[in-house]
This record gives sequence, C-alpha cells and structure tokens, in this order.
Amino acid sequence: MEPKTGKAGDWRNYERVLLPKVKDLHLLEVYEANGGYKALREILTNDKWDPTAVTNEVKKSGLKGRGGAGFPTGLKWSFMPPINPDIPRYLCCNGDESEPGTFKDRQLLEYNPHAVFEGMLIASYAMSLAGSYLYIRGEYADWITHMEGELKKAYAKGYIGKDIMGSGFSTELYIHKGAGAYICGEESSLMNSLEGKRAYPRVKPPFPAQKGIWGYPTTINNVETLAAVPEIINRGGEWFAGIGAPTHAGPVLYGISGHVNRPGVYEYPTGMLISDLIYEVAGGIRGGKKLKALVPGGSSTPVLRADMIDGVTMDADSLREAGSMMGTSGMLVMDEDTDMVSFLRRITHFYHHESCGQCTPCREGTGWLENIVTRIDEGEGNLRDLDLLIDLCSEMEGRTVCALADAAAWPVRYTIDRFRDEFEAKCKASLVPSGVELTEATA
Amino acid sequence: MATVTIDGQTFEFEGRPRLLQFCLENGIEVPHFCYHPAMSAPANCRQCLVEVGTPEMDRETRKPRLDDDGNPIIRYFPKLQTSCTMEITDGMVVKSHRSSETVERAQKDTLEMLLINHPLDCPICDQAGHCPLQIQAYKYGPEGSRFEFEKVNKPKQIPLGPEVMLDGERCINCTRCVRFTNEISKSHQLTIIERGVRNYPMTPPGITFDDPYSMNVIDICPVGALTSRDSRFKARIWEMSKTPSITTGGANGNNCYYWVKDNQIMKVTPRDNPEVNEYWLPDAERLDYKRFNEDRLQGPAVGGVASSWEAAYDAAASLMKEAGKGRVAFLGSAYATVEDNYLLTRLADALGSSTPTFIPHVENGRGDDWLMTDDRTPNRDGCERLGMSPETGALATRIENGEVDVLYVLEDDPVAAGILTAEQLAGVKVILHAYNTTNETLPAATVSLPAATVVETVGTFVNQKGHAQRVRPAKSIKGMNRTLMMEVGKSRADLHGTPFDRWHNESNLVDCQPGWVSLPAVAKRLGQGMDYRGPKYIMREIAESVSAFSGATYDAMGDQGVRLEDVGAAV
Amino acid sequence: MADFIKNPVVELPERNPAPAVPASELHFTEAEKARIAEYVKSYPTADGAIMRALWLAQEKFSFLPPEVIKLTAEEVGIPYAQAYGVATFYTQYYKKKMGTHVLDVCTCFSCQVCGGYDMLHYLENKLGIHKGETTEDGQFTIQEVECLGACGSAPMLQVTNGPYVHNLTTDKVDALIDALREGKSWPFESVTLPQDEDEMGGNRRTDVSATETYQTPPVSETIR
Repeated sequence: MEPKTGKAGDWRNYERVLLPKVKDLHLLEVYEANGGYKALREILTNDKWDPTAVTNEVKKSGLKGRGGAGFPTGLKWSFMPPINPDIPRYLCCNGDESEPGTFKDRQLLEYNPHAVFEGMLIASYAMSLAGSYLYIRGEYADWITHMEGELKKAYAKGYIGKDIMGSGFSTELYIHKGAGAYICGEESSLMNSLEGKRAYPRVKPPFPAQKGIWGYPTTINNVETLAAVPEIINRGGEWFAGIGAPTHAGPVLYGISGHVNRPGVYEYPTGMLISDLIYEVAGGIRGGKKLKALVPGGSSTPVLRADMIDGVTMDADSLREAGSMMGTSGMLVMDEDTDMVSFLRRITHFYHHESCGQCTPCREGTGWLENIVTRIDEGEGNLRDLDLLIDLCSEMEGRTVCALADAAAWPVRYTIDRFRDEFEAKCKASLVPSGVELTEATA
Repeated sequence: MATVTIDGQTFEFEGRPRLLQFCLENGIEVPHFCYHPAMSAPANCRQCLVEVGTPEMDRETRKPRLDDDGNPIIRYFPKLQTSCTMEITDGMVVKSHRSSETVERAQKDTLEMLLINHPLDCPICDQAGHCPLQIQAYKYGPEGSRFEFEKVNKPKQIPLGPEVMLDGERCINCTRCVRFTNEISKSHQLTIIERGVRNYPMTPPGITFDDPYSMNVIDICPVGALTSRDSRFKARIWEMSKTPSITTGGANGNNCYYWVKDNQIMKVTPRDNPEVNEYWLPDAERLDYKRFNEDRLQGPAVGGVASSWEAAYDAAASLMKEAGKGRVAFLGSAYATVEDNYLLTRLADALGSSTPTFIPHVENGRGDDWLMTDDRTPNRDGCERLGMSPETGALATRIENGEVDVLYVLEDDPVAAGILTAEQLAGVKVILHAYNTTNETLPAATVSLPAATVVETVGTFVNQKGHAQRVRPAKSIKGMNRTLMMEVGKSRADLHGTPFDRWHNESNLVDCQPGWVSLPAVAKRLGQGMDYRGPKYIMREIAESVSAFSGATYDAMGDQGVRLEDVGAAV
Repeated sequence: MADFIKNPVVELPERNPAPAVPASELHFTEAEKARIAEYVKSYPTADGAIMRALWLAQEKFSFLPPEVIKLTAEEVGIPYAQAYGVATFYTQYYKKKMGTHVLDVCTCFSCQVCGGYDMLHYLENKLGIHKGETTEDGQFTIQEVECLGACGSAPMLQVTNGPYVHNLTTDKVDALIDALREGKSWPFESVTLPQDEDEMGGNRRTDVSATETYQTPPVSETIR
C-alpha cells in the first residue's frame, strides 16, 4: 500500500518562516539583522508598491485567516471602502487567543513579535490606516509587557509613527490588553471591548469594513495571519501559494496537545496529514496507547474518531470532507482511555461560562446543554436526553448574533453523533425510547 | 416604486426602512422584545427572526434574473434574519411565521429558551395581562417546557431607585432599560452586570436610579422585571380602563393615559406622540395624580355652608348683579381649559369688566429642555391666545384701591400663589372654582364651586409650542350630564371590558362640575345666554371667532393634537 | 466546574457597601493620571482606555471595589455604570478582595485530559480550601479557570494574572507554594518549541532565566 503523503510536500526538510531558526529573534536588533522591517521598507520606498499592489500580492499568496474562519486575507483587505480623508480607518489584530486547545499565537507573540508588528504596518499601508490595535488577551500579561518594550523600540527606530522612513506614510500601533473573556476573540465583540463597552458581539451587517471600531472602517486579522505578511512581500505571493495545500496555502502553526509524546507548537506547511502530525511530528500517543479521538482546530471544531482521520490533511477542504474544520489548527489528541462524556461535559461548561449573555438561544441554551450533559455524566441522564441535546443544538445553531452558540452546539452534536455508544452507556433506560420525536407532550 | 413582499403580500416603500418597523407600521405582527423604535437595535432577543430573500441580480444588466415563468429568482439568506435590523431593499421577499415553518419553529424555540429561567410567576406579576412575553408565549410559544433543572436564582424585589423595583429573574436581558438611560435620558445610571446567564440590569453600587425619567423603563420593559413601586400590586391591568389625555403638571402637554379603577386614577403612563413627548413621560408627571383622588372639594358652598348647585349659582349671580358695572374682576386660569377660559372672557365682557388675567405659575430650574418645563401650567399659551395676560399685581392694586366688589376666580388659588392676601380679600366677595380642599383661597370664598379636574372634563389645552390638544374624561363625577356621559363612553377604549371599570357606578364620585357647565349656569342667571351643546361647540365658536385659534376644531385635533399654526391660526 | 448549575444563584452585589479603600488613599498619583491620560490618547474616544485604566487601578489597589471603579471611570471620563458593567463582564478584574496570590488553575479541554483536575484537587487539599476560597491567612486564593492558551504544557496555572506555571506536577505545585510563601516571585517560564530543541539545541531566548519544554504530563487519565 502506498503511504499517504498529504499536501505538505517534503515537510521533514521544511524551513520555518513564522518562527525561523534564529536565536533571540524577539529582539528588535536581531529581527532587523535577519531581514526584519525589510518588507516594510520595500513597500514604503519602492514606487512599485502602491497600497493596491500590496493587497494584490497578499491576494496572490492565497493567505487565509488563521484565527478560525479561514477567510481569504487579501480579499478581506479589499473590502475596505474607498479612502475618505475625513474618516480614519483601523486595523485590529486579534491576539485574544482563547479557543480551548489553541496556544500558537502566544508563542508567536513571544518569539517573533516584530513580524506581527511589521505585518500590521504593512496592512496599515495597504489599507491606508490611521492606526492599528493589537488586542491581546489579558492573561498574556507577561508577553504584553515584553511586547510593549519591543514596540517602544520600534517606535524609537521610526518604524511606526509619523512619516515612516520618510515615505510620508504615518500610522500608529497600540497594544490593547483584554481582561478575561473568550467572546472577545469574536471580531465584533473585540471591537466593543476596544471601545470600552461590555464585549457583546455586534449585528452584521454592517460589517467591520463598513462600520467597525468607533463606527470607522475596520479590518480584523489574526496574529498569525499578519505575521505571515512580511515574508509574502519579501518572497512574493507565488512563493507563499506554493507552500502546503493549494487551496489553503502557506506555513501554519500547529498546536498539538493532549495525549501525545511530544506536544507543542510546530510550524509546518498546511495540508499535513493528521497521522503524520500525531505519529511523526508529535511522537505518537503516549504510553503506546491507541488514538481514540482528535479535535483538529480548537474546541468548537467537530471531534473526529480515530477511524475518521485516515488520509485527512490539515486544510479546510480535507477537514470539511472528513466532517470537521480547520479552525485554529489547535489539535487535541485523546487516547483510548478518554471518557468522551466527561470531555463533552467540560466543553459545555466552558461555553456556558463564556457566553456573553446577549442573545437568548446562547445565554439560555449553553446552560441547558451543560445541565443535561452533566446529568448524563453523573449517570442520571436517560436516552431521550440525547435527542433533546441534538434538538437544542438545532435551536441554537445559526440563531444568534455571533457564532458562539454554534461553537457551543457543534461539539455536543458531533461528540454525541460520533461517540453515541459511550453516551448511551452512561444513560439510564427511558420510558420513551430514543429516536421518538420529542414534543412537549412526550418531554 | 420599490416593493417588498411579505408573506405573499406586496407593499410599496420609500427610503430604507427597517423590516420590523415597516411591518409594525403596516399592521403586520412580528413578535419581538428588544426592539424599540426610539432606540438602537441590538437584535439580542432573537424573537423577530424571519426568512429573507433578495432577487438574484444579473451582473451585466443589473436587473433581476428571471425563472422560466418570468418571476425573479429569489436567493434566501442561509440563516434566519432579525427583522429589526434588516434594511428593506427593492424586490425583497420576506416570510414570517405566517408563511414559514422554519420561522414558526425558530420563534417557538426562542420562547422556550426565554422561559426556561423565567420564574413564571404571572399570578403575582403586575405585568401579567399586558406582558409581551406572556402574550407571545401564549400565541407562539411551546405547549410546555422540557427544562428539568433548577432555574437561575437572581436578586428579586430590589428597589433600583425611588420609583422602580427590579425582579432580576423575570428579566430577559433585552437591554431596553439600559439603552434608555444611555441613549434617551442619558443619565447612564443602569448597566447590565455580570456575564452570560447571570446577566441582569443594575445600578452600580452607591448609585440610586433617581433619573427623573426612571419610570419609562417600566413601560418599555417587555416583562415584569421592572415595576412601579408606586402602583405595583394596586390593580390588575384588566381591572382598569385607560383614557388618552395629557398631563397638566407642566407646559409641554405630554400625552398620557389615565388608568382608572373604581373612579380612582391608579397610574399614569405615556402615550406616544412624536410631536410632543415621543414615547416618554417624566416621573413627576406620572406621580402627579393623587390630587385627582384625594382632598377633593365636594359640593358647592355659600358663605362656608354647603348648598345645592342651584343655590350656589343663584348666589354667585346675585353677587355680580349687586356689584357696580366694571367692579367685578375676573381671574382666569392657565390650569383650566381654553373653553372654560373663553366662557369666562365672554362673561367678563358681558358684564363690562376688563379682560380676565391669569396667574403664571413658574418654578425656575424645573425645566430640562425636554419634557419638563419651568412653567407649571398646561395652558398659558391658550390663555394668551384668548387675549388674557399674566397677572402682574394690577389686580391687587385695584382691590387695594377699592375698585373691586366681586372677584371671580376660575380654577386657581391666588392666595397660595401670593397674588393676593387673605387681608386684601377680606373686603371682596369671592366666587371660586376650586379642585381641592387644600386651596388656600377657599376660606375667603363667598361662593365655592367645586371644579372638575383634567381627568373629569372635556376641553383643550395649548402647550408651550402652540400645540392644541384635547383632554377627555377618564373618570366620572356626581351628576354627570349627557355630554360627559357620551364623552366618557367614547374616549375610553375599554381595552379589557372589565367589571372593575366602575365608571358607571357610584363609588368615589366627586361632586363637582366642569367650568363649561357651571359658567353658563351662572351666566344664564345674569341674562347672558351661553347655550352650547357641549365643549366641542364652544371650541368650534372659538375657532371661528378668535384668530389665534382659527381651524382648531376637535376634529382637527384628533388624538394627537395639532400645531395651531399648521391649521391657519394666527401666531 | 459544575458549581453554578448545581447551585444557580446570582448574588446581588452590595448596593451601598462601606468603602474598602479609605478616602485618604482613594486617588491616583500624578504619574498614574499621566499614564491614564496616555491610554486615553490611544483611542478615538476616552471609553477605550477604561480596560487599561482598570488594570492600572487593580495593580494599585489589589482589587476593584466599587469606589475604585468609580474613581477610574471619572479619571477616564466615562460613566461609572459603564465602567462597572465592563468590570463585571471580565473575569480577570477582581471585584472582591483576593488572596495575595491567586492561583488560576486551568482545567479546560487539554488541561482536563492532561490532569488539570488532579492538580486542582491537589492544590485544594494542600491549602485546605476549595476553589473560589481564600486561605485564612489571606495568602492564597484558588480559582478554576477556562483555557489559558498553554495547552501543550498542560496542566498549568497562572499566578495572580501574571506568570504562567507550565507542566504542573505535584512536586512543582509544592515548589510553587513554597516559593510564594517565602515571598519569591515565580519567574517567567519560556516554553521551548520542540523544533527549536531539534534545530537550535534548546530555547531560542537568551534573556530568560527559566525555560520549560513542552511535556506529556505523567498523570492519570482522570479527567474530572
């Protein structure tokens, strides 16, 4: 049998781009010595790079957002309305990394902060922005402190501020510190948080490009997305598009956690075989145990059973076919001893705790889900609870302002769907058999 | 013209209306909780979800693509949309719960979710009977609950401020109250606190919700989470009748409803009028109703002794007959209607007296450039339009100079107002129309005629901006004449048809008369015919004879009143 | 974790509490005011600065009693109610007095399946308190928290909104408590990327004193 190869090519000899092999790259002087801020200088000083050309290069690269939704970055930039000198425009760089299972942005912010700054500055030029905000979750206090030091250095060097490198282009860059709320990772909620309001997501439309922070045109990109931008300028969009999965190109940070021998953040091309990531990269399942389940991209992405990952690669298309999503590429690996009911119980608790409480289905539904899953986990549930859970998922999905309700419902729907025997084993028999349509009368 | 199709029915529209507002304006019911036309739309209740489709456009021709039958191909949004935030565009197709099972299901689901943590204490809730949650759950909700866990316990019976009581468990987090204090009253005293299912509205510690407009949050609360400390547990909504009228504590003529049970005013709530007060009413004007129920002057008196109405009219007439020509002074009232003041000016004219003056009642600093005014009277503008001028002290001088034998006072209190002293009045015969026993001029009155208040009469007030508005009788008085009876019947939209709405019974009836009954009765005895079939005809005569009221008929005023200059009245 | 659904009670914050900070201390220094002014300048309107200003206030006063939230709102120039709504929305702002050291133990997702609950319960037994409680000497508060974004080095905890402590074991928890009791602060731990170990012979940072590698936790599969 042919070994499956995935779409990542010769990944064993892959040279890292986002976290290259450079000691102390997090310091400005080291970053500069290794080609840092070259891309910014290039676009600001070379006439061939007007803002549209920069956006086009990013479009050409095929870069897709690394925050979870996977929206094409260049396209997003082009949604900004025509420039009106009276109306400032902004960028928010989303470093609120809070999706359980996701820990890559923290490492990027620690080890290559200037790539994030430079990416933000290039984006600022491409979209002619008055300023940009780097929103970092409050828990990353130590990293924020460090980054603020580096930001000061970058200001002092004239990479940010008025008339950057004599180009006439001016823009500001601020770091905003969160204070503990998963919902702030949702882009419109992040904007409300920045504006000093309770972080409730906003109704779309209007989209951020039309009315974003303080009502001004705004673009929101993930930390890892923007960190990829400088090298796209340096080496060209085509180079980037040639890395990894053709429809989901580029380098990506895989955060592998759970029951593997070598967890951690790894940089490889997109399109890696999941089996390679588990067994080759992360050293296999600990204690020689068998793989039971895998969550490929953060807690909201549907869990895959071990028998579902054969030949599946880490890119949007392949994961969609397999019945899940790329998400944040934060992978949780679970071995054969994992109790999937307890696992789901903890996830439902998470979403219950993190629901902002604005929309009815999410505010009320997340708690109801946790109640039922807890009851099942404690051996007090019955089979028709499973049907009710699925029904509640349908009551929540697509019915709220933001996607938190969906993110809360999917793990329930798919964990039950894919591990139903485990749930049934914990349930008591019910007078009403499972599968009978639930109405208020039978409930 | 651009069109939108809602449940198969096509409507024309202009501009870019929001779908929910458009539906409401066209009489199409769409269940909702958080949306309020005067405030931003957060779309958080998720109750107004509908299916929305737009025509698929041909990129080149920029015209809708057509199917084989020549109908535009409609592309539906993959998710249900909140109609409160959806802007209508040309060719849009909308399916509400009436034509879409998906929408029907979604609305039912949302109600199921809303009710899982709602206490369902409707039997002891003041909102019951006019509660949007109760009504919509009844119409669109599930038949039972599948929720088998303990409901979230939240703070209950928390006085947020002097007027508003919070029940956190009933709250459905629509945020209307918070938006009201942020966007409308701008007191910024409320916020949602906590997060998720723990959310509820609250003042921050140390802050009392003493916003002078605080009670508006009670009206806009779509559940019983915010209730009035003044009126809670006093009357079920279906035990009261409500009458559209205006408040009279200021010069803005804020539109209101008077709620009546057993001939007592139970509460006052705002009535929408975009020209006057939009949806709002200041707390002070809501609480200014006890004077209609309490300390009422019962029955006329002559020389401090109770008399019949006939005897009182006779006494008043003979006092004026006995006075020398021009020696009867008339004091009109900015508390009284245009009609009554008009009759007074006619009487003064007939007796050869000078035009009545009126007492201004001004409380500097009370006004807020919104719905509250420094002027505490509802009809100063109306008085001035009748040619009356504010009393400046000339009356006191005339009395001091012995030029006055009889003082005729319409519905005011010159002693309390400091216009005249009891000593000054000692040598003058006083005929006084008064509302309350607290009237300080009453001891000086030779003839006292208890007057009907704004909630017992028919008439017109003109606000500070020249907006003429009708008042209607909300409760009955003793000896109702036919006109009043008819007006009561007409004006009270007896919403609930309640046996408790005892306007026709005898309890709590005040023995008083409207000016348009008592003034003609006195005038007739002086040989002055004032035969009107009712206030409507008095106003018709005013509209024809006083240029400042041209066109101001009851029909023109309708329910919302009319800006006098808009109907051709002289400014 | 199931505390709330087992006892779903939302307490009313005291409406008129006695101030926790004496009036004589309830003010910002000129330097603090300048920092807040700097934050305000970073946003188109002052509102944006409230989160940073609340952080500053919390560092200064150790927690955010209502009078501090009010002071901060006034300094920033936004309504007190807005600031209070914001403060209660976020979990990292302490609305009540906490222990000197707040131990935020992550039990979410990866930490759950890597023994986060073992660590939480070990810590609870060690300190003789339950999560959500503070030791009698006021030294330690334990909290169970949601994902802190360090899933590869699970189980882990955070100390008082500051340093992360990765790859927890009972020994490491002991060492942590000892250090904190002795008044030492826990150093910033830089976690080495596996690829850096292979290609660069270890951690890439030369400016940190403590490093950790990503590790598979040697704990049972208990996930409760």
